[in-house]
Amino acid sequence: MAGVIGVSALALAGCAGGGGGASAPDALTFLKNSENTTTEPILDALADGECAAEQKVLPLEVSSVPQAELDAQVQLLASQNGLPAMFSAGGNPAEGAKLVEQGVILDLDEALTDLGVRDKISEGAVSTIEKLYGGKFSFLPFQYNIEGIFYNKALFAENGWEEPQTWTELTDLAAEVKAAGYTPFAASGEQGWPLTRLVSGYTFRSLGADALQKVADGDAKLTDPEYVEAAQAIADLGAEGYFGENVTSLDYDAATNEFLTGNAAMIYMGSWLLGNINSDANAIGAENVGFMPFPAVEGGAGDIGEYPANVGLPATFGSKTYTPEVADWLGCIAENYGNAAAEQGQITGFISDVEVEQNEVTATISDTIATSTDSVLWFEALFPAKASSVSSTNAALLVTGQLSAEDFMALVQDAIDNP
Amino acid sequence: MNSVLGDKKAIAILLGPALLVYTLITMVPVLWSFGLTFFKGNPLQGFEFNGIVNYQRIFTDSYVHDAFWFTIKYAIITSIGQIILGYGLALLYMFVLKKSSTLVRTLVFFPVVLPTVAISLLYQKLFQSAPNDGLINELLVNVGLGSVDWLGAGDTAFIVIVIMDIWRSMGFYGVLLFSGLLDIPEDIIESARIDGARFWSLLRHIILPMSLPILFASIIFSLNGTVKVFDSVFALTAGGPGNQTTPLTLYMYRTAFQFSDYGYGSTIALLLTIICLVITLMLFRSSRRDNTL
Amino acid sequence: MTTATTPVTPDYRRTMRRASTNPVIKLLKRIPAFITIIVLVLLTAYPLFWMVINSLKGKADFLDNPSYALPETWVWENYARAWEVGNLATTITNSIIVTIPSLILIVILGTAAGFALEVMVFKGKNAILLFVLAGIMIPGQMIILPLFTTFFSIGLVGSLTPLIIIYTAGGLPLTTFMMATYFRAIPREVFEASTLDGASILRSFFSVGFPMVRNAVFTVAIVQFFLIWNDLLIALIFAGQRKLNTIQVGLLNFSGEYGAIDYGPLFAAIVITVGGILVLYLFLNQRIMKGLAAGAVKG
Repeated sequence: MAGVIGVSALALAGCAGGGGGASAPDALTFLKNSENTTTEPILDALADGECAAEQKVLPLEVSSVPQAELDAQVQLLASQNGLPAMFSAGGNPAEGAKLVEQGVILDLDEALTDLGVRDKISEGAVSTIEKLYGGKFSFLPFQYNIEGIFYNKALFAENGWEEPQTWTELTDLAAEVKAAGYTPFAASGEQGWPLTRLVSGYTFRSLGADALQKVADGDAKLTDPEYVEAAQAIADLGAEGYFGENVTSLDYDAATNEFLTGNAAMIYMGSWLLGNINSDANAIGAENVGFMPFPAVEGGAGDIGEYPANVGLPATFGSKTYTPEVADWLGCIAENYGNAAAEQGQITGFISDVEVEQNEVTATISDTIATSTDSVLWFEALFPAKASSVSSTNAALLVTGQLSAEDFMALVQDAIDNP
Repeated sequence: MNSVLGDKKAIAILLGPALLVYTLITMVPVLWSFGLTFFKGNPLQGFEFNGIVNYQRIFTDSYVHDAFWFTIKYAIITSIGQIILGYGLALLYMFVLKKSSTLVRTLVFFPVVLPTVAISLLYQKLFQSAPNDGLINELLVNVGLGSVDWLGAGDTAFIVIVIMDIWRSMGFYGVLLFSGLLDIPEDIIESARIDGARFWSLLRHIILPMSLPILFASIIFSLNGTVKVFDSVFALTAGGPGNQTTPLTLYMYRTAFQFSDYGYGSTIALLLTIICLVITLMLFRSSRRDNTL
Repeated sequence: MTTATTPVTPDYRRTMRRASTNPVIKLLKRIPAFITIIVLVLLTAYPLFWMVINSLKGKADFLDNPSYALPETWVWENYARAWEVGNLATTITNSIIVTIPSLILIVILGTAAGFALEVMVFKGKNAILLFVLAGIMIPGQMIILPLFTTFFSIGLVGSLTPLIIIYTAGGLPLTTFMMATYFRAIPREVFEASTLDGASILRSFFSVGFPMVRNAVFTVAIVQFFLIWNDLLIALIFAGQRKLNTIQVGLLNFSGEYGAIDYGPLFAAIVITVGGILVLYLFLNQRIMKGLAAGAVKG
């Protein structure tokens, strides 16, 4: 691994220089969220390999900030014209959209076309990004995840359970799972979003793929009865005890562990879980993990083929520091990231033409991503930061019955109206 | 004598540097922040003048109400616990353990040394209810009561936070108050003892009055600290579930740094400062009256 | 200030002496104290034990088994991983670089200011004292944005200097106030005496005043040390880059993007850093306590 754990002190100070305009970077400075451990190794591999030439001109320098602080830090830097050449942002898409609005982010559509590498990005990823960030292709899909329900195949086979195709089938299945003594759904109430993903899943299936866009645009309200119905459906799951006991304080690791040790039959999660599934921590074994889409809602406007997708916490290039040398790097990354990632077993939004050995569940997911033409987002995706926070912190209360479905939706709607 | 104690040059040299640093780094930004309360916006998108809208909003914002009452409740209970237990510890060191108490004092001080991350993880595990029961719930089950989802509801989470913070800082206040007790001249205590005074009257008539200055200083410090609690709550519950354990500092932090409204965030910070001011002034007044400070 | 003395009769005194010299009763009296001490030590030392055993567990072990159980297998690699992921070499150095200068500045400036505000005589003394006191009340988050903007525009980012400045300024109000409180206890005659000997007030501050409050200085220094050492928010915002991270910020490196936490190495990192402090504290404590004991004997 090229010893590039340095920091952009020079670059930042250079950019600061009395609060004036940003000067040309002398390194490819990359500010990322510390929790992201997948992007840097690949960039390092590229710096050593296919992008060695660019590395010589502009060495890669990575620095990191904890996720919770990233949006604030980027905002502060942006206001002082001190953004590094490359940075992660948009953990909350609404905040990312603000950066786009202020013009500090490169127009990737234009830049990539100029470099002739526009076709190296999968269209599915581009469409997800455009939906998230105000209609512009402004972030790079270093990660591309789809979401669905992972289930314990051995358990299903043992009990004669089938993949449910509709919501009613799912709830019936859950009842049987509970009767058999297992937890139907593992979910982290402490994180909150695993529960609200279920709400948005139901909403998209019953009201169509643009259901939450309408709310964001103000054409519909979460307090409308058809939206409350979705929250109620999930609250009912909780009322029946399908999340197991004390879901509120269950954290992410504990929840995924419940699934991977076989105590829970199903878990709604994204394809980033493949990392855990393919690791030694998986007690039930990777061959025993299946993946199925969120079921359809009878009579709903949505389609079971629409997968919720996201790009994790993506990274992008700054518009003010986009020099020709930086452009070379961008071109090299776009060309080769897909392959480098595939070799390390990661699925990204960059197209790769390398054949890699994959186990069944990984293959299912890769194929789905490759062939999907449209995707949906998630509950908080288009909401302002406050509504996002209110939603994830109150999700557990919805599920334990401490908040009724109407009240939950009212709280979130109120935060949307009064950010 | 007074001319020596009134030596202007000496005063400037002694007081000047501290005052300069303090004013520039702390007070000026506070005024700046105060100015921000009349605006709305953030550094990225700019600020626009808002008049007193932020102030009107504070009065009607239900989140502020909840956070306010939580902060007050927490501050009073935790401070009382910290001071009483701290004082008890100080007395223990002074009278029971005396000078050979270094090891015990260090051990009891130990929680202060731990990073908040460690303590919150410890308490999360201690009060765990899912997927397995933590120590506390196991004890409850053994005694015949059911296990409780401590962090799952606001009231019980409050109890955990208070216990955690008192446990963590009692050693600190123990050392602080102990150093104040050490200043009480030995001979006064000895002569009172010889005259036959029992422990409780010793406490009431000698020790308490003589340690009142340091006690007051500690109370002021404690209350100011608990009103501004942030790290421990953030690490343990992140203000959850919902916003049932969200103090004003956390709500202010979220508003400014996550919801990008620095104007409103500064207004909440102002509210917090006013609360601290009121508390400190009240204490200061009453201590001046008793002529102890 | 009067000390209350209970009127005693000679008989009462004799009875009291007899009771207090009975060895059995003496022993019995000590038992509640013993129990209290043992409970105290258990309550506070248990976490150290808990952290050490959990630092040696693998993740599955930690999640599946009760946390107070001993590790199934002893995962020593956690410590190596902790050193690397937590970036401990850098963060420990940074924490030290930031804390020591701040402490020195706080102690010197704060004690001097406390002395001036309590002992010296001048108009507006109380107003300034209240002004300083107000500093304890300011929530740290309020000053972040203005300071960040200022530091950035004068180009002061990219080093640990902003942290030192902020910690010093932040520690001054409390220190000044506490030192003023301690100085109040010293009789004015002490300073009068030294100035009569021809020393300027500054001289008498350094050679007489400062040593007399040694006790207080140590206590306040310890207080401030931990406030600075354990600070997270300021270090995060003003020293966010990896090479500038302090220990507390480094501990955040163990969290994952979707909420996962690498428990074993996290605890290992904590054990390493806390263990170091504990050893230092125990070592210093001996010397400090000697100083305290000496200072406690007042003429």
